[in-house]
This record gives sequence, C-alpha cells and structure tokens, in this order.
Amino acid sequence: MKIDIQKIAGGEESIVIRYIEPNPVVERVVELLSNKERKLWGKTSEGNECISLDDVLFLESVDDRVFAYTKEKVLQIDGSLNSFTADICDECFFRCSKSMVININKVVSLKSLSSNRIDATMDGGEHIMISRRYASEFRRLLKGDR
Amino acid sequence: MREEKKLTLWERYLTKEIGIEFKACLYFFAILFFVCVFRMINGTFSVSIAHMAEMIFTCYIIGYMQVFLFGNFDEADTLGLREYAGVTVCTLLYCGVSVLGGWLDRKVLATLIFAAYILLTYVCVILIYRSKRRIDDKKLNEELKLFQTEHKKSE
Repeated sequence: MKIDIQKIAGGEESIVIRYIEPNPVVERVVELLSNKERKLWGKTSEGNECISLDDVLFLESVDDRVFAYTKEKVLQIDGSLNSFTADICDECFFRCSKSMVININKVVSLKSLSSNRIDATMDGGEHIMISRRYASEFRRLLKGDR
Repeated sequence: MREEKKLTLWERYLTKEIGIEFKACLYFFAILFFVCVFRMINGTFSVSIAHMAEMIFTCYIIGYMQVFLFGNFDEADTLGLREYAGVTVCTLLYCGVSVLGGWLDRKVLATLIFAAYILLTYVCVILIYRSKRRIDDKKLNEELKLFQTEHKKSE
C-alpha cells in the first residue's frame, strides 16, 4: 500500500483513505482514526479477526509470539508484549510477569501468596501468577499510588 | 500502561537477606526466652553471652537453610514433604546445637521440651503468616473492586 504524507502550511488537517475493496487494514485505520471502540486485531485458525480490547482476559508471549485470550477465542497478535503495553497506554493492562499481561478489569479475585506473590483468578477461571517482581507495582496500581 | 520499575539484583538480594535476618531475630528471641525460663526455674538469673552469640549464629545459619533448602517452610502456602522435612531437620539442628553448646545443661528432658517448643514456635509462625495472608487477601480484593469500579466510571 502506498503511503503519501504531505505537509501543509495552513488550513485543516485531513486524512484521505483510498481503497478498492474494504479490507482489515483499512478498517483498522478507520477505527483508529475515528476513535471508536478499542479493538485488537489478530489471527485465528479461521483467518484475521478483531476483538474488543475489553474482552481480552490476558496476553501471553510464547516463543516470540504473542497470544491474546478471551473467554471464547485465542488470537495471535503482531508485535511483542512491550509494544502492546506501549501502544495501549491503559492502566487496566498490567504486565504481571515476563511473559504475561493481564486485564485487571477481568480479574475476579486475588489471593496473596508467600514471597509476596499474588494469584489472580480471571473471569474464565484461569489462575495467573503475578510474580514477586511485579507484585509491589500491582499493589501500588490498585491503591492508585502509581 | 506505564513503564515498570524493575528491582535490581542488589535490591532482590537485600529483600531476601532482610527476610533471613528477620527470621534469625524472631527465632533467637523465642529460644532466648525458653533458655531464660529454663535457667530461672533452675535458680540462675543470668545467661552466658557466649550462649547468646551461639544462638544468634545458629538462627542465622538455620534461617539460610530454611529459605534456600526447605522452601521457606514457615511462610509456605501449603505444607508438603519438603516443608515437613524442613521443620524436622531444623528442630533437630536447634536441639543438637543446644546440646553441644550446653544451653540447657545437656539435660535430656529439657532438650525434649525444647524440641516441642521449637515445633510449637514453627506452628505458630506458620499460622501467623497464614492469617496475615488472609487479611491481605481481603484488602487486595477490596482494592481490586474499587479499582474496577473507578475505571468503569471513567470509561
């Protein structure tokens, strides 16, 4: 796809999208620009799919691939956990270990474990460990001290 | 999401070391109390400084063993074979050192009561940590609900 960026001296800034047929990339750009419901694009066995970010339970990095888990689906998304957290810019998505990011809004309950670790039970029943390294930051986030 | 502040190797070491030192102090005072009571019953109202030094060093070394060999059993979430082995070995070590150092004048009955006392101390510490975690659970879940409510309001 050709990208044409022009600098203008004055007037209103605008973006023109030209496409032959609607496709996921165009839809993604339109959604991003129109600031609609936050969505996440990824691949499933059935092809490209898009899910609402609010439905994501957690993200996991396995062998340099990142998977987003909802109650029903698992999507492989582009990029890394670091790039995801940087792009999303949302306190609800918390890096809870080297390989996982959880959606705090989807946590049903928390259990304090020894060595300052925390066990988070997700909406889907999964148990995710918040490692000691990240637990203090998590506690501060919940308290609103971050 | 903001940038995480990761703990440095030094900070992680310090956290572990403080934990071990806290344990050493806790068990040292528990043992010192027992030895003081034993000596008072026997009509002596003083304790040797050498014995106290032996006690603190023993507690410190056993503290290391508890953390690195026996999975920090007094803070464990569940008690398994490793934890029970830890309780037994550490109790035997305390009793062994007490006999070698003559803390309890090498009296068999006093040493057996001392072993029971150490076991009781471990049980109490395990229960204290467990109830501390239960209170922490409640606090964490309250804060979680508050966070979720506030976040939903702001959306």
